[in-house]
Amino acid sequence: MATNFVLNDKPISLDVEPDMPLLWAVRESAGLHGTKFGCGMALCGACTVHLDGKPIRSCITPVSSVQGREVRTIEGLASKSARAVQEAWIELQVPQCGYCQSGQIMSATALLERNQAPTDADIDAAMSGNICRCATYLRIRAAIHHAAQRLSSTQLSSGGESRS
Amino acid sequence: MKRSHPVLWSIAAILIVVLGVAAYVVFAPTAMDFAGGHRIALQNYSGVGPSGVPHELTSASLIGKGEYLTRAADCMVCHTARNGIPFAGGRAFVLPFGTIYSTNITPDSETGIGKYSDQNFVDAVHKGVGRDGTRLYPAMPYTSYTLMSDEDALAIKAYLFSLKPVRAPARANTLIFPFNQRFLMAFWSAFFNADKRFEPHTDRSPAWNRGAYLAEAMGHCGECHTPRNVGMALNNRKKFAGAVQAGWRAYNITPDRSAGIGEWSDDELAHYLSSGHADGRGTASGPMGEAVDESLSHLSASDIEAIVQYLRTVPAEKSPDLPATKSQAASEDFADDHSSNPRGKAVYEGACAGCHGWSGVSPSLATATLTGTRAVNDPQGSNVAQVILRGGERHTPDSSVYMPEFGSAYSDGEIASVANFVTKRFGAQGSNLTAPDIVKMRAAD
Repeated sequence: MATNFVLNDKPISLDVEPDMPLLWAVRESAGLHGTKFGCGMALCGACTVHLDGKPIRSCITPVSSVQGREVRTIEGLASKSARAVQEAWIELQVPQCGYCQSGQIMSATALLERNQAPTDADIDAAMSGNICRCATYLRIRAAIHHAAQRLSSTQLSSGGESRS
Repeated sequence: MKRSHPVLWSIAAILIVVLGVAAYVVFAPTAMDFAGGHRIALQNYSGVGPSGVPHELTSASLIGKGEYLTRAADCMVCHTARNGIPFAGGRAFVLPFGTIYSTNITPDSETGIGKYSDQNFVDAVHKGVGRDGTRLYPAMPYTSYTLMSDEDALAIKAYLFSLKPVRAPARANTLIFPFNQRFLMAFWSAFFNADKRFEPHTDRSPAWNRGAYLAEAMGHCGECHTPRNVGMALNNRKKFAGAVQAGWRAYNITPDRSAGIGEWSDDELAHYLSSGHADGRGTASGPMGEAVDESLSHLSASDIEAIVQYLRTVPAEKSPDLPATKSQAASEDFADDHSSNPRGKAVYEGACAGCHGWSGVSPSLATATLTGTRAVNDPQGSNVAQVILRGGERHTPDSSVYMPEFGSAYSDGEIASVANFVTKRFGAQGSNLTAPDIVKMRAAD
């Protein structure tokens, strides 16, 4: 049975088993390989994507449960918050091996979409589910603060809408 | 002046109390006494009888019928060791006075039931007596199965005899004296096993009678959901009011609006029974999850409806320690939780929030929503801790649900803390579990 949903702003119909994990559907059927398989048990956060703007673990989410909803992967990030995160990631050279970073960026972007001035505690709470084997946590936290500052300064100059 | 005999009076008083207690226990109501009305013997009932298979299966073979009834009586779960061969026995029942292991009910002639005659099998199911006359422990729910018709018991036997024989000797029980004296179960049975077949109630609908038969004679719901008396028999004065089984709390399933299922719609109940989940009510785990996977999810829609109809008629019982479930979601804002439980919060944000969200309403899976579920609104917190320890998997014909187990990833104290955090943030009243509680739960398996 086909599952119809919106993937990175485009409607898509995937004719796959309803209990196929969303991660499989996105990678194998939709051909978007930016989202990574880590543990397969929703423990590490590498597979994080956005469902209706909220970060979820795509490895244990059956594709049938996103019917009619909006999914965004790392390939579809385009909002101001997302750009701020990406730029901060580059400026601070956050990744080491890089495997977890797709999931890290998705969680960080979701955090900034809802909270543009997160404290350390906010960042810890939002990012704890994303594990980094290289332990780049301090750079991740610094980059999120950096992105938040950038967002607040651009907002002061240009205002503007934010879109996930 | 009359002489008083204080010693005699005391003895008489003690005797009266003892006899009173004995009478209270022995003359306790049986499973369906609450319904009152007029009953007749099964064979005299006209119309669609409550026993047997649903109409879709009326033309099935005896083995086919037996398979459905074996599912309905949920024989497999108890007669299968964890990850063991189905029906070959070996599942442990850890009791306060030792451990009992279930037996092999494949048709192996040495270690199974291959030599059982029809009469042997019916005696085991109805009376708790094995082929060689040994008494079975009531871990085998023969006080419920005694209501089963001979015909249905023999259909189950036919199905079991169609299975491949498996050689699997029973593991020795480790009960302490006097519980290791099987013959004592003869006295227990004399008191507590009515040894009477199901009698339809003529003033109730056929669906009600079918539901009663399925819930009592087959599904034996009360064995977990009804509290037990001093003699470890079911206390039907508090029928379906909830009890603790194997470290899990089997909740109140009476129509009480606060503690029971009175607020659930018929659809919610039917969906929960047949799939293990009802939106906003919860997802079955632990022993109830097994009952859904292996038994209830295989029943026909008409049979599930009949069980729902029957459950509605049981007298409402209160559970004073269970608050009404809180249906309002918590805040989406995780920074607002300045709880006194930083360790629980830290575990939650790392391991739980990804699927369960910060409001308790899962952003992705309805089966992962915590808000409104009974377990999260149980101030004892035991079922929440059990699910965290063991994870959960449901495999019903229509759906699958999966939650990883966290028992090997976190310490006892961490698991207690996060269970307390979950019940406090998302439930009506937080639990106060401690590391030793989790040690006990781990040991029970």
